[in-house]
Amino acid sequence: MPTAPISTFEFAGVVKDDRRFHGLPLRFSFTPHPVVGMPGPVLRQYIEGKDPATDRPVIEEVIDALTKPVNGEENASDFVEVSHTGSRQVLLEPDTEDNLQRLFFERGWTDGLPIVLPTEERVARMLTGTSHARDEVVGEVFLFDTKEHVKFTVEMVAIIAVMAGARPEHLPVILATASTTHPSIQPSTTPFCCMLLVNGPIRKEIGMNSGIGAFSPRNLANSVIGRAWTLLTINWGYTRLKKTFWSSQGNNFAYNNMCCAENEERSVWEPFHVQKGFRPDESVVSVFRGWSLLNNGGGAARRSHGEEMILQMKALPALFSAATLILDPLVARSLKENEGFLTKLDYSRWLSDNVKIPVGQFWKTDLIDMLMAPLAQQGVEPYATWKRLPDDALIAPYNKPEQINIIVIGGETSPLWKTADFAHTVSAPIDKWRARTVAEGCSDGTCGLPDDDTVGHN
Amino acid sequence: MPTGLLSVLSPESQRTVVPDGEVKHNGTPALSSMAPRLDTLNGKTVYLVDTGFGGSYKFLDQMQEWFAEHMPTVSTVRRRKTGNIFRDDTTDLWKEIKDKGHAAILGVAG
Repeated sequence: MPTAPISTFEFAGVVKDDRRFHGLPLRFSFTPHPVVGMPGPVLRQYIEGKDPATDRPVIEEVIDALTKPVNGEENASDFVEVSHTGSRQVLLEPDTEDNLQRLFFERGWTDGLPIVLPTEERVARMLTGTSHARDEVVGEVFLFDTKEHVKFTVEMVAIIAVMAGARPEHLPVILATASTTHPSIQPSTTPFCCMLLVNGPIRKEIGMNSGIGAFSPRNLANSVIGRAWTLLTINWGYTRLKKTFWSSQGNNFAYNNMCCAENEERSVWEPFHVQKGFRPDESVVSVFRGWSLLNNGGGAARRSHGEEMILQMKALPALFSAATLILDPLVARSLKENEGFLTKLDYSRWLSDNVKIPVGQFWKTDLIDMLMAPLAQQGVEPYATWKRLPDDALIAPYNKPEQINIIVIGGETSPLWKTADFAHTVSAPIDKWRARTVAEGCSDGTCGLPDDDTVGHN
Repeated sequence: MPTGLLSVLSPESQRTVVPDGEVKHNGTPALSSMAPRLDTLNGKTVYLVDTGFGGSYKFLDQMQEWFAEHMPTVSTVRRRKTGNIFRDDTTDLWKEIKDKGHAAILGVAG
């Protein structure tokens, strides 16, 4: 079928790269950028005006794309790239501290800040933080835009952990985060951001902060674990300009991804990881992703906590019903003891029922139109019904209370909270990545025995 | 090693590029060929397919109006791909276009 695909000129490079992978020179036409947000007359001018790539009128190119005969130069086999594996230099040439700092920055291996250089000695020391072999593959990520499969080992994660300024005791959390293979930075033009939450005993063991100033720059573990995740993401390849990195304004959260621990000891509710099916004594890392977070500057003096949070949630997109509320323990206690919300899910359900917005506001939100309107088209309820409502009809857009996450963090100096559009994406166990203690290793009597288990059993 | 110099490990991982063609066909590139083109659009049916990116519907509004004004013998049919911007259509849209149309314009990426 003759097809004329159209893209804005900003992504002409993507089209060119994509041809190498699919082996088919699609006849793209390019308009000026952007299309989104432009009024009708401007878009008409885009159509009748020139393609920035060729200086020819876009509409002429579109018609030619459908009618001009295919010629021999459009033979697919001339374009296709074959699979290949790149080489990797394990040990860099010895150099001065200053030169190596500059090298790491210029090679795109850092977040722009100075790093702790990963000498062999430092990496060996870091590896004492886990019982896993240095050459064990932790995971593999696939970069869609460049068709790269990137395998990474325990050693690579340890190198990154050194760079971030972490200590060996932080490594299990960093390995668990890496094992999710979720990047902290997304290949999107929008300002995605992430949050990394730790639950379970390891929080106290490694000195994480879940109390006063938990999100402020004053704690080593919170800072370096979050930073390590972004350095991993960078070295997986997610920040190559206009190849894998497109965020028009970026997001400052990516420096340490709001890495924090839940204040389980001061919370009146069950910890987040227990809600997700883990045991209380398991240590777990959880990833959240979204775009926006509203800090709260007041303590609900004139309106109730719920009324305040409803106002904030109305302003967020309610994409797939996701929200994350980060409550100081004072707020959680008040909600339970003064308002009767015995569990986190009770409160999530209340919010789900009580946040109401006009359906026109919902469907005219860009993210909702791009990602959820197709569900309505496919007949999925309630979206299909919502699509047929008049713009001023009220809906409860957070229709899945289990997607409203509640976490308790804070130092109880003020009953405040944060409201975010973050969705919970994955949780991963940390304990399997720990260093084996001598007691653990010998608990079944096998430590120190040779590999051949027939020795001594004749 | 001379004093003052440090030897450090590279943070890079092993990368393997695998183009889509090889992924789909176990080593044999899945190369397609370009469909034969129409001799003219006049009298033909052209589907205008909205891929779902912001503003695409407005752009295709303008495209449809342009054809109505300048090439009125071209019949245009509007459709929006039912998969979101990252997913394929979930219905028989492509079959419908092949059965009932002569060509398709897809837009606008970006």
